[in-house]
Amino acid sequence: MWVIYTLNALYFAALLFLTSLGLNIILGVMGILNLAHGSLYAIGAFMAAWTIIHIVTKAPVFFLYVSLLSGLVLAGVVGFLMEKSLIRAMYKRTLEYQLLLTFGALLLLEDVIKMIWGGQAYYASAPFDLLGKVDVFGNVYPIYFLFVMFITFLAGLFIWFFMGRTKLGIMLRAISLDREMATGLGLDIGRLSTFAFVLGSGLAGLAGALVVPTTPALLGIGMEPLILAFIVVVVGGLGSLKGALVGALLVGFTRSFGIAIFPEIELPLLFLIAGIILVVKPQGLFGR
Amino acid sequence: MGATAVSVGSLGAAGKAIGQPKKPIPTTPVKIATVSFLTGAAAAPFGIPGYNTFMMCADVINKEGGILGRKIELLSKDEAGGVDAQVKLCRKLVLEDKVDVVLGYISSASCQAILPLADELGGLIIAYDCGTHELMEGAKSPYEVPKFKLGFRSKAHLGIDNIGLALVIKKYFPKIKTIAGINPDYAWGRESWQIFEVAMKKLMPQVEVVKTLWPPLGNTDYTAHISALMGAKPDIVHSSLWGGDAVTYTKQAMGMGFFKNIKMAYSRGEPYPQEVGKDFPEEQIICCAGTHYFLYPPHDKSPLNKWFVTEYNKRFGKYPTYPCYHAYQAIYAYKYAVEKAAKAVGGWPEIDDIAKAAVGLSFKTPSGTLTIREDHNAIEDVLVGFTKLTPKYPFPILDPKRLEVFPASQVNAPVGIKTVDWINSWK
Repeated sequence: MWVIYTLNALYFAALLFLTSLGLNIILGVMGILNLAHGSLYAIGAFMAAWTIIHIVTKAPVFFLYVSLLSGLVLAGVVGFLMEKSLIRAMYKRTLEYQLLLTFGALLLLEDVIKMIWGGQAYYASAPFDLLGKVDVFGNVYPIYFLFVMFITFLAGLFIWFFMGRTKLGIMLRAISLDREMATGLGLDIGRLSTFAFVLGSGLAGLAGALVVPTTPALLGIGMEPLILAFIVVVVGGLGSLKGALVGALLVGFTRSFGIAIFPEIELPLLFLIAGIILVVKPQGLFGR
Repeated sequence: MGATAVSVGSLGAAGKAIGQPKKPIPTTPVKIATVSFLTGAAAAPFGIPGYNTFMMCADVINKEGGILGRKIELLSKDEAGGVDAQVKLCRKLVLEDKVDVVLGYISSASCQAILPLADELGGLIIAYDCGTHELMEGAKSPYEVPKFKLGFRSKAHLGIDNIGLALVIKKYFPKIKTIAGINPDYAWGRESWQIFEVAMKKLMPQVEVVKTLWPPLGNTDYTAHISALMGAKPDIVHSSLWGGDAVTYTKQAMGMGFFKNIKMAYSRGEPYPQEVGKDFPEEQIICCAGTHYFLYPPHDKSPLNKWFVTEYNKRFGKYPTYPCYHAYQAIYAYKYAVEKAAKAVGGWPEIDDIAKAAVGLSFKTPSGTLTIREDHNAIEDVLVGFTKLTPKYPFPILDPKRLEVFPASQVNAPVGIKTVDWINSWK
């Protein structure tokens, strides 16, 4: 069973990593704490579910998996519009304004989702069902969960390479390190911020899209991931990619083994660990 | 709105309309508010089927001449938005819209908050789907009935589902050694497990509980729970998960080979084989929240069930699930109570006359017979079955050869006795 507990932990951590990675990029580069991040996750989930339901009988199986990207694209587009309209004005304001504004955006987006997709549940489990199961040391495990881990691994690798090795990524990091200096060096902060916000939003949308074959898309689907992503970001350190990874793994393993061993205190345990880390290292594990 | 609304309003305010001489039956429509989840997680599995059924029944009643000749006018409202919003909405429905009756509420939290309003506002409120056994029970046995003068529930509480499951497990699996539970972490889940556990302890004291899990409502990843249950190796797992949670849990459990060695006992599993489809595992224990099943009573024995299933299927393309039957019970309970009261008073009855007539009301429903007791709560028989794939349906049905029905008297505590105390007193 321990192998499966570990795989469960990795699967949960993978989704959480994707969600908190986006939150972290936005926070790191732009200094914006986006409470509407969960709504972008939900938009990804609804978009992907809607697409899957509409093409499942018509398109070849391969396209079902490609269609998951629709969640990423739409969340990215919504992120773009959000940044251009609402977030832009917040860069020079204090945190309270950001929290109020992004909380407003959260409520707004929830209603937009209700307006577009209605109140029903969208069941789109075909990608999960079609991949079937695999034997892992005598235990049955759904291949789709492995697929999610693989995609997350690719996304993580891409972000790591992008941030560390490409010019665009280096410019984003420069902004996150010293915004004024970066401006002084002539970086186009406005455009780069838009880009970072779109990237972060897209990652949230991808996480939502990946989860939807395993659970129906419902109103409020983005709340739990938002809360857990905050724990991850706080524990791992604000703006640190490594922190997001370690934080996600910590939450994933605590949850999986917590439920197996001490089910009654699984959630308190999570907050307890987060609390201890913050007391010992207020800036988070890898925070600056 | 004519005379009735005014009289209901003034009755609520001063209570002076009682005992007036015979009243002519107004020509205006009867205003019935229905409240169920039209958005959110509970909309698709419960709210919309309930809403559909209210519409269908009102339409049918209107075509057959209405209630004492008055047509029904429905006001369909959304239960989403939390308890505070519901309390406000209910006040508005009774005081401003002056509805004749409110039929509603799926969430036990809504019911707990709303039913006390019935007496406060002087409006008739019938809870149609919520499950908590605490709603009509007092703090200690024996308790005084009724708890609310104008508040009713036209269905049995969750006790029957969980007692029914325990009785079936004792009958079919007398040799099991271990059980476990996975229930949503709020009143509904906690209470369902409490009743099941107490009943199991009484019926099969040798059975050990090896794991109890409490995932949050709206959880999207059950893998850790499923593995934890598999690791504990119970023979049977009890669950009151519902809606998207039940489907998500079942699908993920199927993917993880859970059903190879473990059996599920779903206290409200009736809608989900239809929702999940032909892959839904066979031989699982499913309770129907009463005897609400589209194939029970069999159509050759119950023309009413046959009509209900055919009519619902014709209108909405699905087979009715238990929330549909609950909606039928609520709207017809009101209709029959009004008709019974009208006979007694000779004219359109006042609200107190209707409440009086509702007590002891017993009528045929598509699922059998429903009786409303002195505690203003209905009691019903309960049906438990085992899933089985047949060539006729694209999803497993309950095996017609093993449908276990327990009479209402066997699964409902006597009036005034708390359910848990009653179970503990079993010999």
